[in-house]
Amino acid sequence: MTEQKMADKITTYEPDNSLKKGYISIFKEIFNEFKKSRWLTIQLFKRDFFAIYKQSFIGVFWAFIVPIISVGTFIILNRAGVFNIGNINVPYPIYAVLGIAFWQLFSTGLIASSNSLTKAGPMITKINFSKKSLVIASTGQSIVSFLIQLILVCILFICYKIAPSIAILLIPILIIPIMLFTLGIGFILSLLNGVVRDIGNALSIFLTFLMFLTPILYAKPKGMLLHITKYNPLYYMVSVPREFILTGTISEWRGFLISVCISIIVFIICLIAFHLTETRVAEKI
Amino acid sequence: MKTHKDLDICKGGANTKQPNNSSTHLLTNSSTDSEVVIKVEHVSKKYCKSLKRSMWYGVKDIGRNIFGKSSHSDKLRKNEFWALDDVSFELRKGETLGIVGSNGSGKTTLLKLLNGIFWPDKGKITIRGKVGALIAIGSGFHPLLTGRENIYINGAILGMSKKEMDEKFDAIIKFANIGDFIDVPVKFYSSGMFVRLGFAIAVHCEPNILLVDEVLAVGDLDFALKCHRKMADFRLNGGTTILVSHNLQVIKNICNRAIWLNEGIIKSVGEVNNTIEAYERYVNLSRNITFGMNRVRTDNYAEINEVEFINKTGERVKEYNFGESLILKIYYQTKRIVKKPIFTVSIFDIKDTLVTSNYSNWDGLNLDEIKGKGFIEYRIDKINLSPGKYFCSVTLAEIEVSNPLDWHEKCYAFMVSGKSNNYGFFNPFPKWIHRRA
Repeated sequence: MTEQKMADKITTYEPDNSLKKGYISIFKEIFNEFKKSRWLTIQLFKRDFFAIYKQSFIGVFWAFIVPIISVGTFIILNRAGVFNIGNINVPYPIYAVLGIAFWQLFSTGLIASSNSLTKAGPMITKINFSKKSLVIASTGQSIVSFLIQLILVCILFICYKIAPSIAILLIPILIIPIMLFTLGIGFILSLLNGVVRDIGNALSIFLTFLMFLTPILYAKPKGMLLHITKYNPLYYMVSVPREFILTGTISEWRGFLISVCISIIVFIICLIAFHLTETRVAEKI
Repeated sequence: MKTHKDLDICKGGANTKQPNNSSTHLLTNSSTDSEVVIKVEHVSKKYCKSLKRSMWYGVKDIGRNIFGKSSHSDKLRKNEFWALDDVSFELRKGETLGIVGSNGSGKTTLLKLLNGIFWPDKGKITIRGKVGALIAIGSGFHPLLTGRENIYINGAILGMSKKEMDEKFDAIIKFANIGDFIDVPVKFYSSGMFVRLGFAIAVHCEPNILLVDEVLAVGDLDFALKCHRKMADFRLNGGTTILVSHNLQVIKNICNRAIWLNEGIIKSVGEVNNTIEAYERYVNLSRNITFGMNRVRTDNYAEINEVEFINKTGERVKEYNFGESLILKIYYQTKRIVKKPIFTVSIFDIKDTLVTSNYSNWDGLNLDEIKGKGFIEYRIDKINLSPGKYFCSVTLAEIEVSNPLDWHEKCYAFMVSGKSNNYGFFNPFPKWIHRRA
């Protein structure tokens, strides 16, 4: 029966294919594609994942290095009086490592997804498969790093003899907004990076800048920086889950909800845009 | 609903395993529309010659699409050209189509369009069924992963489900037949093993339509035979194949229809022999360009100053009938005594295969010395070369062949016309005898 179905399946290729069909069918197409390529996504993730760590001795534990070094630097700067971390009522290392873990979901996820099409270049130009799966699979890497970094967080909780709130069990839900946001932007950047390589180069510089602009390694700032922070959805997506895990309360409900809405909207718009344009990326890579 | 029914009927037809069924359909043109598995209507594809412009166009087009606007891909902008221009054809279930054409004629682009990797800029492609491609085998392999790991991943990329993969895993390993290497990173594979594994996965996708791009020549003989048999099985089971190859012989043997592409335009489409013949004729004519270019002269006092093709009655000709006698007249001129001169004549076919190379001294013409003007005759009594174009190299050497004084490398060409009932460049006119044991 399924074989008969396969033989019956009609595919058409023509310019502006999806545009002609209308927006409702676009949603249907995307949904079907997701459903069909679930297994493919997992396989692509495995391909990336194993390949990265096969030629490495410490493997996944590289994920420890970034938080330890950046948090360590900030502790040293703070002790030396060069930099003021601000008022934080939990041990700083826990605060900072947890913050970095959430931030890296965004930053490493975005870098990986924006490079995903370019990296798979030869494959894309020779095999016809779901490019969405490729982008989604690439962000899987950042989730693995996140889980590894959670181990570090747990170790710190034990060291400081502090118990996290029950919210730590909600982590799978808490990371959804930031993942949607990352994927959405990742979809668009992967396309643009496929055509113009400047995007990928500019991205890592921009992300470093953005990290220092967002209160991840320091407390919520005052003055001009506060105004920027107030309108930075990433701030809410990092600091609200962090606060929730550390204290069990959420003080900035409004900002968080708006950020969640923004991330959902960004994800949907970018996904549709990706769907409409992915057909011409193979020839440009 | 109606089309579904129609397809059922045609599937039943294919199950009788009579490959010729569909080709007779083609000739009588009596088949229904539902048998058409590939329909290409006025398809064009453009490329950009300038990289920076191509990037800019790419960003612009993507930008337009993002805002839900058409990218107006049907118009050419600066530095763009049509790689495929208004290509239309149909292919019915069970047919095998060959695509021929010189390099850059758009063959690969057409395959990529049919595979859905590139999208047409104009026109429409409709495909019924699952497409499998034997193009750039193994391009989804990750070098660090083992063969076993790569099988699952590659299968998924080629569109197989987990269930299908689980079922076919053993068959794939068996077909690839690479032994213990299945658990070794693909990086350490020989190129033959790499292709074996890639091919094994690709053929187990069980497509209805197979796109093949010049891959059958890879691997050792044993594996090549296996591939050919697998492809033949596929055809006999009603599969539709599109084959791109420079090997016209393979196309003639396998395909029943052919398309000849030239600079993105279909020059000829139809029955395979007619199309290939038209293409060969074109190639023969266009090869003239390099004619007479390669002459190496190492001695100022001795040269071959003219070469003539002559027929039996002494007339100068360019073309011989199959079976006629060929005479090559080589005029020399020397201003010094050339000791023990050796003349050589070599004949090449259109694909640069050496047909024969003859040295005058080996064939019994042992001259002590020559001086002044004269000519040598090279005679073939009965030319049994297959019809086509041939090139001649002529040299004059002193004492030994490796000491040429004047060398005309493929400077002369002649045609053989008529018909020969064989493949290959040479017809030995064998006798076929049958005896009962």
